[in-house]
Amino acid sequence: MKISMAEEEAAAVHGNGDSDEKVLEFLDSLEGYLTLMESLASTLRQGWFELASARHSMGVSRVSSASLDLKDHLASTYLEMTQHEFDESIMRQPQFSLRKWASFENGICSSGEEKPDSPQLRQRCPSQISENQEDLSKSDGSHTTVDDLVKKERSKSLSVFGTLVSPKLRAAQASFETALDILVEVANLRSSMLSARNQVQRGIEETRK
Amino acid sequence: MAGRAPIATKSSALIAMIADEDTVTGFLLAGVGNVDLRRKTNYLIVDSKTTVKAIEDAFKEFTTREDIAIVLISQYVANMIRFLVDSYNMAVPAILEIPSKDHPYDPAHDSVLSRVKYLFSAESVASGRR
Repeated sequence: MKISMAEEEAAAVHGNGDSDEKVLEFLDSLEGYLTLMESLASTLRQGWFELASARHSMGVSRVSSASLDLKDHLASTYLEMTQHEFDESIMRQPQFSLRKWASFENGICSSGEEKPDSPQLRQRCPSQISENQEDLSKSDGSHTTVDDLVKKERSKSLSVFGTLVSPKLRAAQASFETALDILVEVANLRSSMLSARNQVQRGIEETRK
Repeated sequence: MAGRAPIATKSSALIAMIADEDTVTGFLLAGVGNVDLRRKTNYLIVDSKTTVKAIEDAFKEFTTREDIAIVLISQYVANMIRFLVDSYNMAVPAILEIPSKDHPYDPAHDSVLSRVKYLFSAESVASGRR
């Protein structure tokens, strides 16, 4: 009887230790989230300032929503999402990673099963993209690297605002790319913060029982 | 079920935006813009003429589309549809409230932080220690 009571006390202490660990994990995520939001605000301010400078030098009509490309096109920068299913009682914790300038010309495959009305993103084929890179380096003898393809995609994005663009517009593009990196980190921290919160909440509910 | 390895599924997805012109233009420069064959975009530019209903419709559309994983929304726009944003509780797409030029980020209004701040209330802490 005494041994079982001691075992129960030890389990309770160990349980409290686990709860403290979960609370600390949650607080770490929260601190990271707030720090990243501060960093995001600073990066966005820089981007807005550079955009305003570009508008000043290129003209208001050139750098506005009227110039945006409304013809059908795929996003060059997109997310790769991994969802981990631990068990049915725990909310899925998605993880996001950014794929920048990944929409290479002729590097997109479409699934034969895809319906025209389907909202599904047309699938990108990493193997097809790498094959195209090899073809590019072999066909004309020139050494086309991934960097060249990325530069081409960046230029394509800038060309919406005209052939010759201000260096400030290129700087704004770089700032908003950095902002995207931060936002993906924020999204991942949000995911882990909500997961930690659920674990803490579950711990509180189990303690109440 | 015990000891089963976690299953991971990977998929590609878009970033959607509901924000002012400069913010949307900047992120489109970074290559996130997508226009499908039906001319549906993954962004909504909010200006003085944009109605609350249009913002609500865009929010509902982006949060129900299967090809969108993150929705960026300016916090001042989120405040216009606060009830809708706060009642959203799915993991995907993730809703991220971002600052805008004229409205700095306010943690007090962030829907994610609102959901977790109750953990710091005296009642929840005291009940956990009983």
